[in-house]
Amino acid sequence: MKLIYEKSVEGRVGYSLPKDDFEGSISDFIPEYALDTQPKELPEVSEVDVVRHFTKLSKLNYGVDDGFYPLGSCTMKYNPKVNEIIASFDNFVNAHPLSSLEFVQGNLELMYELEESLKEITGMDRFTLLPSAGAHGELVGTLIMRKYFEDMGKPRHKMLIPDSAHGTNPASSAMAGFQVVEVKSNEVGNVDLNDLVQKMDEDTAGLMLTNPNTAGLFEREIQKIAEVIHSSGGLLYYDGANLNALLGIVRPSEAGFDIVHLNLHKTFSTPHGSGGPGVGAVGVKKHLVDFLPYPLVCKCKDYFGFEEPIKTIGKVRAFFGNFTVLVKAYAWILTMGADGLKEVSKAAIINANYILKKLKGDFRSPYDRFCMHECVLTGRDYKEFGVKTLDIAKRLMDYGFHPPTIYFPHFEPYAEETIMVEPTESESKETLDAFIEAMIKISEEAKTSSELLKEAPHNTYISRPDEVKATKEPILTYKE
Amino acid sequence: MRYIPNTDKQFEEMLKEIGVSSFEELIQDIPSDLRLKENLNIKGPLSELELFEYFKQIEAKNKDVSKFKPLLGCGSYKHYVPQVIKTILAREEFYTAYTPYQPELSQGTLQTMFEVQTHFSRLTGFDAVVPSIYDAASATAEATLMALRLTHKNKILISSLLHPEYIDTIKTYTEPHKPEIKIIPHKDYLLSIDALSELLDDETAVVIVQNPNFFGGIEDLRSIADLTHKHNVLLLDVVTESLSLAVLKQPKTLGVDILSGEAQSFGIDLNFGGPYNGFLATNMAFVRQLPGRIVGETVDRNGKRCFVMTLRAREQDIKREKATSNLCTSHNLNLYAINAFISLYGKNGLFKLAEYNVKASHNLRDGLIKTGKFQGENYPFFNEFVLDTTLDEETIKERLLSINVLPPLKLSNYFEGMINSYLFAVTEVFSKSDLNKIIDVLGR
Repeated sequence: MKLIYEKSVEGRVGYSLPKDDFEGSISDFIPEYALDTQPKELPEVSEVDVVRHFTKLSKLNYGVDDGFYPLGSCTMKYNPKVNEIIASFDNFVNAHPLSSLEFVQGNLELMYELEESLKEITGMDRFTLLPSAGAHGELVGTLIMRKYFEDMGKPRHKMLIPDSAHGTNPASSAMAGFQVVEVKSNEVGNVDLNDLVQKMDEDTAGLMLTNPNTAGLFEREIQKIAEVIHSSGGLLYYDGANLNALLGIVRPSEAGFDIVHLNLHKTFSTPHGSGGPGVGAVGVKKHLVDFLPYPLVCKCKDYFGFEEPIKTIGKVRAFFGNFTVLVKAYAWILTMGADGLKEVSKAAIINANYILKKLKGDFRSPYDRFCMHECVLTGRDYKEFGVKTLDIAKRLMDYGFHPPTIYFPHFEPYAEETIMVEPTESESKETLDAFIEAMIKISEEAKTSSELLKEAPHNTYISRPDEVKATKEPILTYKE
Repeated sequence: MRYIPNTDKQFEEMLKEIGVSSFEELIQDIPSDLRLKENLNIKGPLSELELFEYFKQIEAKNKDVSKFKPLLGCGSYKHYVPQVIKTILAREEFYTAYTPYQPELSQGTLQTMFEVQTHFSRLTGFDAVVPSIYDAASATAEATLMALRLTHKNKILISSLLHPEYIDTIKTYTEPHKPEIKIIPHKDYLLSIDALSELLDDETAVVIVQNPNFFGGIEDLRSIADLTHKHNVLLLDVVTESLSLAVLKQPKTLGVDILSGEAQSFGIDLNFGGPYNGFLATNMAFVRQLPGRIVGETVDRNGKRCFVMTLRAREQDIKREKATSNLCTSHNLNLYAINAFISLYGKNGLFKLAEYNVKASHNLRDGLIKTGKFQGENYPFFNEFVLDTTLDEETIKERLLSINVLPPLKLSNYFEGMINSYLFAVTEVFSKSDLNKIIDVLGR
């Protein structure tokens, strides 16, 4: 479709401005060294053009409301509509971050209550709601680990990260100045305890662990893992990307974690927004509270304010976090209540195991175990027909589904050509059955008519963009 | 539960199909001594009606802020958001989609990112643009790290008139590198070029300057760039009020090397400080050092033009600890608002909107000075300015609130010695008669 620039017509107008009855002209006020008297070459379109443009663009997208979106470790659950409306209340969206605190007591109370709920759900002692995404939370968490050891006068330089971890874990650790040491997974898809013992030492800050991990498997030996880390004085970091499996069942604190980050845009239902905004709230146990970034919300009697922890790592963004996202997450928690949260994890786990059971015959699972909220299958048996896992994913689009996460997690020899399916609690048995049926059909197509897969998708607006060309000859802006 | 479609009966059927007799069997991997014995102690469940009323009641604990027009800016600007933008943002295809990993199902997102890259390119002059990073404070910190990587040097000079929260964010992000950070003093509400000249040396990696600066002042970027480049140092320009780009010379043409911006002014509500939208822009020569998601044009297998995330070898999911940043989820939803805002205002509208901001703010400043209650040095500014006053804080507050205006920022909280100074921001939400009322109540 055309770019908005290609719809531009000289002199066309899409705006209305209040009457400008001020004296003078802009050149009276802006010095010559800075003023550009020529307007920048932006499009000229009407409001109708803009509305049709975005409506058309929207039809080229696929969202959770369009159908099944089983991206593994992304938790693409339903985004409740009432929460969108609540977050757009006038006195939430029109609050200026620097207005005096007496003007925004409602906002602060809401943040305070959300923090209390997150503390209860995880067992942590204090939360910062500042980080804007999971990776931002990881940076905060790893900087806290760094400062904790520096403060003791014994800085540590290494960070342990399992080979199954999200790429953000090693990237965040590197940003926080750590040397990354990879820990192997074993044959049952968990952290290899022997490898962990060998690599943990007194120059290692700790371990960043996702539990259930990205293979959708609970770390059975989590208590031993915590012991190994803690006995060398290390800290255990919980990547909350997969918390959707554990609500009301296990809390990270009891499992021995010192720091957690929660993706409110995953477990807590706030929309992914085509790639954010999210919130990566970070919770810590008592011994790390002093290192949290500032400002933290606090309550003095009945008045809410902000405070700065005494050994704070500092600021990690402007103002107080993604406030409207916090509103949506809290609305979701209140809607669910304690029983509802438990129901969520139960439903997510049953849904994932149902898919695993029905599909592992055709898409061999690397592990002979029950999974938690997501399952990992592989497309490796179709290589002999010249079909790649990518082809299977693309073919799913023709059946009206968003593909699962593919090629991740990847750790040889157990997890290759992976297909990671996370159905979430939002999906009905009918939807899962339809997906399962499509996957089985595709497995037959792979054997009998592989061309169908290799050229898929056939029914989408575009098919198989040339990504090599995009990288080799980068065109990053439109030029007439 | 209305968000969980399966019935108990269906779950029973599914468990049977899985081959277990109970849910407990499925979670046998979780050691029993770790399991929660009691229910979580949290509020709820609330029905939708109860939920709605609960949040209405919390909202009411705020002052009725939507009735007040703020004279506050400082990186958070009250511009009017055309209603049509709200209807665009409400499209589920935009807000319920994921990061565009599957281009066949996300051309709407990818084309929007490409269009916003083009808008920012035309506003700044740069060809390489990262359209969405959390906010400009974190984007500026990322840009600083990029400058350290590009120069292999470790000294950072920061203008004292960079937003104080941005300065603190840079310090947090760069701390593991233990850089030498020096603050460049200001003089007459602008960066002191003499001080910069004294601080610059060949060990410096980057000079970070906000323009318009924290006082709204318009810096002489060309002179700053010339001086900076003499020492082979990079110039990072931070723009908190991106509307200014509509009427100011493109930063690239003035010698800026990297630009970090806050696009909140383009169609994003105040939101009590977030979510906003940071962005970065630079020369193509530096593109492979940029953090975050970038979209490029290509063709599909049938030769049709389309868009994909590109230059991905910089990113965490591919390069892990060797990535340029850990950025994954950004603030993409805001890009639809920004794209719609810039498209609606367009070439002439954005210029006129900026012009209105310039004229209205100068009108207020002149009016306040004429009352005799306010004084200040002349300096070039965009839509924010500093004045000193003989009025006390309580009086200002009381009088402005009486006409539904939020008072300006008291600078003593940020700058030592500026005891009676206030920073005013004026946008198009103020009409001439609104401003006259302000002058009237403060001039009494």
